[in-house]
Amino acid sequence: MATNAARNAGPFIAPAAILSLLVALVPLVFIFYTSTVGGTSTEAFVSILESNLFRRAIKTTVIVSLLASLISLVLGYIVALHLARQSARRRAALMVLVLLPFWTSILVKSYAFTIILGREGLVNSFLSWMTGAEVALRLIFNRIGVIVGMTNYLTPLVVFPVLASLLAIDPALYRAAEVMGAKPGRIFLTVTLPLSAPGILAGVLSAAVMSLGFFIVPALLGGRQDLMLANLVDFYTREVLDWNVASAVGVILFVMVAVFAVPAMLLRRRQQQGAH
Amino acid sequence: MAAKSNAIKDWRNRIFQLVGGVLAFGVYLFLLAPSIIVIPVSFGSKYELKFPPTEYSLDLYRIFFSTESWTQPLFLSFRVAVITTIIATVIAVPAAYAMVRFDFTGKKLLIGLIMSPLVIPSVVFALGIYLYFSYFKLTGTATGLIIAHTMFVLPYTMVIVSAGIQKLDPNLEFGAMLMGAGRFRMLMTVVLPQLYPSIGAGALFAFLISFDEVVISWFLAGPTTTTLSVKMFSAIQWEISPVIAAVSTILTVLSLIVCLVNVALQKNTEIQN
Repeated sequence: MATNAARNAGPFIAPAAILSLLVALVPLVFIFYTSTVGGTSTEAFVSILESNLFRRAIKTTVIVSLLASLISLVLGYIVALHLARQSARRRAALMVLVLLPFWTSILVKSYAFTIILGREGLVNSFLSWMTGAEVALRLIFNRIGVIVGMTNYLTPLVVFPVLASLLAIDPALYRAAEVMGAKPGRIFLTVTLPLSAPGILAGVLSAAVMSLGFFIVPALLGGRQDLMLANLVDFYTREVLDWNVASAVGVILFVMVAVFAVPAMLLRRRQQQGAH
Repeated sequence: MAAKSNAIKDWRNRIFQLVGGVLAFGVYLFLLAPSIIVIPVSFGSKYELKFPPTEYSLDLYRIFFSTESWTQPLFLSFRVAVITTIIATVIAVPAAYAMVRFDFTGKKLLIGLIMSPLVIPSVVFALGIYLYFSYFKLTGTATGLIIAHTMFVLPYTMVIVSAGIQKLDPNLEFGAMLMGAGRFRMLMTVVLPQLYPSIGAGALFAFLISFDEVVISWFLAGPTTTTLSVKMFSAIQWEISPVIAAVSTILTVLSLIVCLVNVALQKNTEIQN
């Protein structure tokens, strides 16, 4: 039976399977192979683990990813909560406000943030106008710029799963809590928040997975000292021309992402099973 | 007494919702501002990068469309995105059908592999493809870009098309085959016509993602194969030229069109079902 189905599915799936094997799997194997110089050497790993540049990059990556994911969680939750309370029609309209930035090129957003956060940017001009004094906060080419840019990208990723879990809450629970005399704050803490926990977890995990691999935002909005692991891969490939080390950094990045991605996938599977 | 406590409750609810609404409005603004702000800047003057611009003109667009170092990348990106979209859609539709309708050994593993670009950082693929393609002299060629982009956009297209197939009634397919239609005829006359909205949406996103893709293109770019996004990436780094605002506006408008068409397509399928 299984072989019969496989024969039926074969012609349908073959082109996609061949493409993914040759253009996704083989390159990944290539990186593992190159990082160990053909499976024989750990030299590349030893040399980066000893380099200060790498240590700083991995520290930056972890701290920035953590902060950006948590801030995105808060912002995403606020939006999801607002969307969940609208009528279906209004929600669809407001959704465009989340979807448009989600589908806007990361280059456009990074460039826009140089206009907004720059020395003579919108924020500084506004603050100068408000206070009447010359304000020139450094909001860009440092860690603040990176976190703002990343948060802007990650927030929609949190909104989608959180909104799904908020909409799955039975409205009768809210009415019951209200009838029993609970205040809005208490309802939020005892009904809304715990019942949306799966969405929160899914959202924050996918934000963490995405944020570890960020390349464009740190390159455009960060300073020299804010290089993240993805930028290090580029640096070793392009400037140092050491492909073994570049691949070793790639492997480490891959493993870090896997550590977050596996629980995220298991969680999604459990939720899907729960829904059926 | 009861009325009074109700009034208090009402008032309390309203404050709660007002605060939530104001906060949410702030976040919408934060999300939307970067996509929107480039539009007025792009109609400003070529001498200064300022918001709001002091004078309005079409100078920046004129410069963009008359400078070869911008138009060449534009045409390349367009060509790569169109060919990528066609190949990815042709591959994704049957694959999505097989994923939804058939069970076979290794299915989960294969899905994981096809979907891996959604999770694994682009830079990891970019380096791997760069190392791998240099063996075949495919780096710095449009063909190399198209192959890599097709792999990269495939999961997005497949997710959208699969969602469309899941909504179809399999009994129609059984019925057609029972009436003597071969599998191919059944697919062409029963499945495909119902799927046009999903296929359209999948193709649109394939185009947008390929057109906007930076990281893989950055690693594969050669002197004659600089895509628009790669050109823009280096332009933002090395010369904050106001022309970038015009390019950004074009990209934002493209995203907006894709977004709105997608919303419209989804509405259509909802009505149909």
